[in-house]
Amino acid sequence: MIQTRPYEFMVKYTPQRDWIEGHGVLVAFAIFFGGIAGGLYLVSLYFDSMWGMFIAWLLAMVTGMTDMAHLSKKQRFWRMLLKPKTSWISRGFIIIWMFLGAAAIQLALSQWAPGAAETAFKVIAGILAFGVAIYSGFVVGFVGAIKIWNSAIMPILFVIAGLAGGLAILLATTLGDAAQSQNVVNAMRAVLIGYAVFLAIYLWISTYESAAAKDSAMMILRGSIAPIFWIVVVLLGVVIPIILLFATSATAAFIISLVCVIIGGMALRYVILKAGVYSPLVPAE
Amino acid sequence: MTRWGMVIDTKRCVGCYECVLACKAEHFLPPEIFWNRVLIGEKGKYPAVSKLIYSVRCNHCQEPKCVDVCPTGATQQREDGIVWVDENECVGCRYCMIACPYQARSFYEDGDSEYFPGQGLTEHEKIGKVLYPHEVGVVQKCVFCKERIDAGLEKGLTPGVDREASPACMISCPTKAIQFGDLDDPYSEINRLIKERKGDPFHPEFGTEPSIYYID
Repeated sequence: MIQTRPYEFMVKYTPQRDWIEGHGVLVAFAIFFGGIAGGLYLVSLYFDSMWGMFIAWLLAMVTGMTDMAHLSKKQRFWRMLLKPKTSWISRGFIIIWMFLGAAAIQLALSQWAPGAAETAFKVIAGILAFGVAIYSGFVVGFVGAIKIWNSAIMPILFVIAGLAGGLAILLATTLGDAAQSQNVVNAMRAVLIGYAVFLAIYLWISTYESAAAKDSAMMILRGSIAPIFWIVVVLLGVVIPIILLFATSATAAFIISLVCVIIGGMALRYVILKAGVYSPLVPAE
Repeated sequence: MTRWGMVIDTKRCVGCYECVLACKAEHFLPPEIFWNRVLIGEKGKYPAVSKLIYSVRCNHCQEPKCVDVCPTGATQQREDGIVWVDENECVGCRYCMIACPYQARSFYEDGDSEYFPGQGLTEHEKIGKVLYPHEVGVVQKCVFCKERIDAGLEKGLTPGVDREASPACMISCPTKAIQFGDLDDPYSEINRLIKERKGDPFHPEFGTEPSIYYID
């Protein structure tokens, strides 16, 4: 049970701590890496970037490792493959492993034997990459006890944030190619605007959904997490990159933008996990 | 079918913590682990203030979210409704703790903890490590004293009626604030109490269908 004073536990909104404090912060990293791994692979398919696909594969590996690092019984990790029928963690773990396998075959085929089989594996790995990007949204969104997480927008938001992060990494790999960089920047502008819109919709809806979700949303907008949200998630992660990407085509601006997007994306996951609160145990009449 | 449940009379509960101690003794729980708790607090503003005393534990929900989210199948539900954790299967991801709206689960982190730090284990703690060993790094929770229920049923006893077959918290309660029985039996004492005293579970809106009802 949560370590808090009984009075608070009974009649106040109490924050979840298991998935954000101490070892729990690894969950935020896992969600972040999963999002950008899936997003990067998808955008790399679109822009036909082998480097992007390879980095996405590495990031998916990091996602799986971070997931496992969070477990206290790491030697039993294989047991997480056993309950895909109802558990989103189990489903996500299976999707990551399947993606790692399919993407590895695709990368090998692209390198040494391009052709129909390569295309087939690109399709399979692309579908699985979408799964890698979206599953963490369902892991969090399935938790009905924490109202701000329990939103249908959560998976969409995580995918869009993943695409934004993926494009940022892809931009880093295309900095030497002006034409390709500009194409990636064009996509990034659109995705960042979409990301900002969905983020706003998510928080706006949260203020109407329930008292607990509203409490969380207020914590994000005006409470203890507000500085991280406004400065890192909004300013660094959205506003500065959008301004820079629209205002200039300088390489330095691209580098600043991609770093900002990645930091902002990480902070988004932290903020959402940190804002999770439980309803008071005793109904307020 | 049988579905074990509990009714807790908040008017009778005096907040003596005997149920907490009985649970700790019964399951040899380490210092920082509580399978049930007595929450004492207040709500409202002067002059309309009420004091609250609630004995809380896992609600053994009929639709337990913890069972659904567990990625390994460590959290399981028996046919009689009891939700328990197989410590040998738990990986310690804590998804069940996150998903429980009642925050009724504990994570056993420190296997070296002592009730009297620096003074060594008490005899009770030493015995517990042999008789009822708890695995470190996994999630724990109330099991409705399923061992007592199962042993009692084998002897032909009735849980909730016979002390030997009833949960430790129930039999230890000096004011009989805790009642245990079969929710599927329309003639059980707990169903009578729920019906006559209008018992309510915590947060029915979550759709988990808790098996613990509170009456006042």
